[in-house]
Formats: sequence, structure tokens, C-alpha cells
Amino acid sequence: MTTLDPCTPADALVRRRREVVRGLADALPVMLGFVPFALLLGAQAAQKGFHLAEVPLMTGLNFGGGSEFAAVGLWSSPPHVLLIVAVALLVNCRHLLMGAVLAPYLRDLPRRRTLPALFLMCDESWALGLADAQRRASFSLPYYMGASLGLYATWVAFTALGAGLGPVMGDVTVYGFDMAFPAVFLVLLRGMWKGARAARPWLVSLLVAGATYLFVPGAWYVAAGALSGLVAAWFWAEDASR
Amino acid sequence: MIDPTTLLTIVLMALATYLTRIGGYLWLRNATLGPRAAAVLEATPGCVLISVIAPHFVSDRPADLAALAITLVAATRLSLLPTVLIGIVAAAGLRHLLG
Repeated sequence: MTTLDPCTPADALVRRRREVVRGLADALPVMLGFVPFALLLGAQAAQKGFHLAEVPLMTGLNFGGGSEFAAVGLWSSPPHVLLIVAVALLVNCRHLLMGAVLAPYLRDLPRRRTLPALFLMCDESWALGLADAQRRASFSLPYYMGASLGLYATWVAFTALGAGLGPVMGDVTVYGFDMAFPAVFLVLLRGMWKGARAARPWLVSLLVAGATYLFVPGAWYVAAGALSGLVAAWFWAEDASR
Repeated sequence: MIDPTTLLTIVLMALATYLTRIGGYLWLRNATLGPRAAAVLEATPGCVLISVIAPHFVSDRPADLAALAITLVAATRLSLLPTVLIGIVAAAGLRHLLG
């Protein structure tokens, strides 16, 4: 009696669809939170000389807000390819830890499904998927995909819209609009804040990057600041474990 | 219209980002990070982001520094949109007043 079988293919499809919708619904508030960030990024990219199509190309292929704001901030014509790639690698290296944490939950899934799913992993979709997996004691890929795809679509669509609206705003430095850039970064940093002790390497980075910017021509200040902060984190970590 | 150098930069950047997404899953799943490696990895994004905006902190315009200080305070207690608006208004106003 197939009609009494609780796991007919049709049932599985319905359940999967329900999981996708559940993920999408849980992601909705975060999607709304993405909108101002996305509009700002698109507008700033347009002001840096990105063409309209290049903005969704970047946000659609890369899909990592912090690295994209950094790329736009450091953008020149022509861009410093290696600098921007290195900064993307460093800003996004937290994904390594996130992927490692998620790995045990993905053990039963084939790589042809996990590798595309991980393309969509951002801080928020990771947190939603992981929290759901811990609550229900198993990872729901359709739930994660529903949340991730909602966030992805929002990000790409609204960065493109921002790029379209950006040129309408004209030269932004005249009216103080350039302060939007550090403002976004400070809000991002506040989100990463784990106490003054953990933030000491940031101060080292700020001081070294600031000094390098003043005294060394070019964009070396990013590498100098980041590396000195990491060295400081390395030494202070040993300090804390004693 | 897409510039070839821009395309190259975007593709390589996206590739780097994707490697960070699959790297932990593929290579770190059975590794145990020492406290030092974990601390460095944890501090990295913040160190990079603050380095990128460091030039704003060493500006030679008093109006910009004051506006940045106001923005910094706003960022510690408000969400993105009000922080950005306060930053913009502070920068515009102070530049007008102080030059």
C-alpha cells in the first residue's frame, strides 16, 4: 500500500519544499537587514567607476559583504589585482572556521551537494543553519538552502539597484557621503566585537596602518596593518593561555 | 560593458572567497586548531577591516576627525542606517563649519 507509506517521493518533495519555505521565513528579517548595506555597497561601487553590470557580477560571484566593501574602498583604475584578492582572502578567512564547525553536520551528504551549498555560506546563513541543526539534532539542507538563497538573491538584487541609483547621487564627498564608508566598517567591526581584550590586535592594526599610510606611498598600509595585528594576536594568544 | 582587468579581479577575488568557504569543510574538519592559530584566525577579519579604514583616522582635516569620532560613537550603539546617516550629516556639517 504505497499510499500509507510515509516516505513516498511526493511526500519527500512536499517536506523538502516546506523546509525551504521555513528557511526562507527565518531568513526574512536578515534579508531586510541586508538591504541598506547592499544599496550602499552598490552606490559606492558605482562612484568608484564600476559599470552597472560589474556590481552584480562581483556580489553574485563573491557574495561576501566585508570583502566587497574592502575591494570597493581600495578600488583604483586599473585595480590592484593582488591587493584586492589578498584582502578578500584575509577578510573571509573566518569562513575556514565556520566550514570546519559545519563539517560534522554535512558528513552524510555527498560533495556534489555540499560544495555548491557552501558557495552560499555567509555569517548569517551559517548561523541559521547551525542553530537549526543543533535544535533538531540534524542538519536540514533544504532549510539552509532556503535561507541562503533568500539572502543571496537579496544581496545581489539590492547591490545592483544601489549601483543603478549611485550615479544619481553625484559626487558624494561634497555632502559628507564619503563618511558612509568608515561608518559601514565601524558597524561591521562592532558586530565582530568580543571585548576589549580580543580587540587589542585591531588597535595595533589601526596604528600601524595609519602610520604606514602617512609615510609609505601606495596601498601598503592594508598589508602592514593587517599583518602587524595578526602578529600581535599570535603573541597575545599565548599570553591568555597561561 | 565589463572591463577585462575588472573581470579578472572579480573572478580571482571570488575564487579566493570560495576557497575559504570550502577550505574548512574539506581540510580542517579533522584538524584541531591550537589556541594561537584560532586566536589569529579570529582576529584576522577585524584587523583587515580596520586597516582599510585607517587613512580616515589619520586625516589632516579636523572636521573629518571630529566627524569620524561622532560616527565611531554612533556605531557602538546604533544600527547601520542611523550610523551612516549620522556620519554623513556630521561630516557635511563639520566640514561646513570648520572647513
